[in-house]
Amino acid sequence: MNTIDARIHQVLDGELPIDALPAELRHRMQVVRGAADLLAVPVPGPSLESRIMAEVRRPAPSFMRRMASWFATPHAVTFRVRPVWSVAFAAAVAVFTVFFARDAGPQLGEHEGIAQFVGRFPNARSVHVVGTFNDWRPGTIALQDLDHDGVWTATVVLPTGTYEYMFVVDGERWVPDHLADRLVADDFGRENSVVIVRPVHR
Amino acid sequence: MRLGVVLALLGAGAGAGGVTPLAAQSVQSRLEGRIPGDAVPVVDSLVQVALHEGLPSEPLVQKALEGGAKQVPGPRIVAAVRATLAQLRDARDLLVRAGDQPPVRPGEVTTVAWALRRKLPPSTVERVVAELPHPPRGAAIHAIADLVAHDFDPDSSAGLIIAAVNDGLQRDRLLDVSTAALHEVQRGRTRDEAIAVVRQQLPNVPWPPKPERGTVTRARRPETPTPP
Repeated sequence: MNTIDARIHQVLDGELPIDALPAELRHRMQVVRGAADLLAVPVPGPSLESRIMAEVRRPAPSFMRRMASWFATPHAVTFRVRPVWSVAFAAAVAVFTVFFARDAGPQLGEHEGIAQFVGRFPNARSVHVVGTFNDWRPGTIALQDLDHDGVWTATVVLPTGTYEYMFVVDGERWVPDHLADRLVADDFGRENSVVIVRPVHR
Repeated sequence: MRLGVVLALLGAGAGAGGVTPLAAQSVQSRLEGRIPGDAVPVVDSLVQVALHEGLPSEPLVQKALEGGAKQVPGPRIVAAVRATLAQLRDARDLLVRAGDQPPVRPGEVTTVAWALRRKLPPSTVERVVAELPHPPRGAAIHAIADLVAHDFDPDSSAGLIIAAVNDGLQRDRLLDVSTAALHEVQRGRTRDEAIAVVRQQLPNVPWPPKPERGTVTRARRPETPTPP
């Protein structure tokens, strides 16, 4: 930044005649005086005071307008993330996906329901449920006894409808489901259990 | 030209027996290896008879497959399939007698045959068909059969379910009506009282509990049966 010579100040303040200045300072003095003359010319239009007062009196914009204006105006957003937190977040998402999202179960259709088969067969090596839902084909729907308490269960998605079924224990013993609400003669001297599968979505 | 020949052959097949060769082939392939070999052609012919008469054939196939899975000898399988065919005919005749116009819907025939197997009196089924002229009536018949199986009076049971239908309940919601009546009996009411109580509740009988999230999560689709 250029500083103004003290003698120019003295000339401007009237303390020193301009002729007392050396030639180069006299030239700069003329430039400064020309600029001052320009600033002294009155600017057409409203004064600063009136413009400020007009701004003050203008009604405040509505909340929605301010929101719209805020959304429309560009804003600089700065994230300061430590890489270690990024890795931790990615690991948390992966764990959630593996243990929860993956095992959300099947997507059930409008005409599908869930049938739960439960039977108590202590000492059984295997239990299957066989019926009209799987063409009476043994081996396609296995019950499980994960805690080895003799209670075997299977939860199966089936089309809605009425089905007859029996349990097959250890691949050879045919047993009706004694917990079933409905039993019907099977025309072979035994009774089939009956399950009505209702739609899950209602 | 080629399309015309195919259509002519299909028309001739349908005209000869009302059965497409494809249907016959698929029934045989489902039975072979699953039931004794000498029973296959007999069961197959019974299936063709059912199709010819406009009766559902799947109950016959299922009865044969059931017999085969249970290691039942061939003649007993054939006898059971014949009995099933007779039940389907009885059911069809009952539906027509009660007012249904032939051809009767196969689903209705299967449901009525199943209800008769559950010892539902034919007169009760006739009443249901007459008072509920618009199929499907499967859920209504199942609900009545559930009540009768628990020693409810057949006429009172039918009256309750018909009242539920007239109050706007449909399809599976009718099963909730019979369940509500059974719950009233478990609470100590007599069967007549239970029917009266549930009738007053109509149509606001409780919904069954929705399956828990864990149940849905555990559910698996069974493997698709593979041809033998």
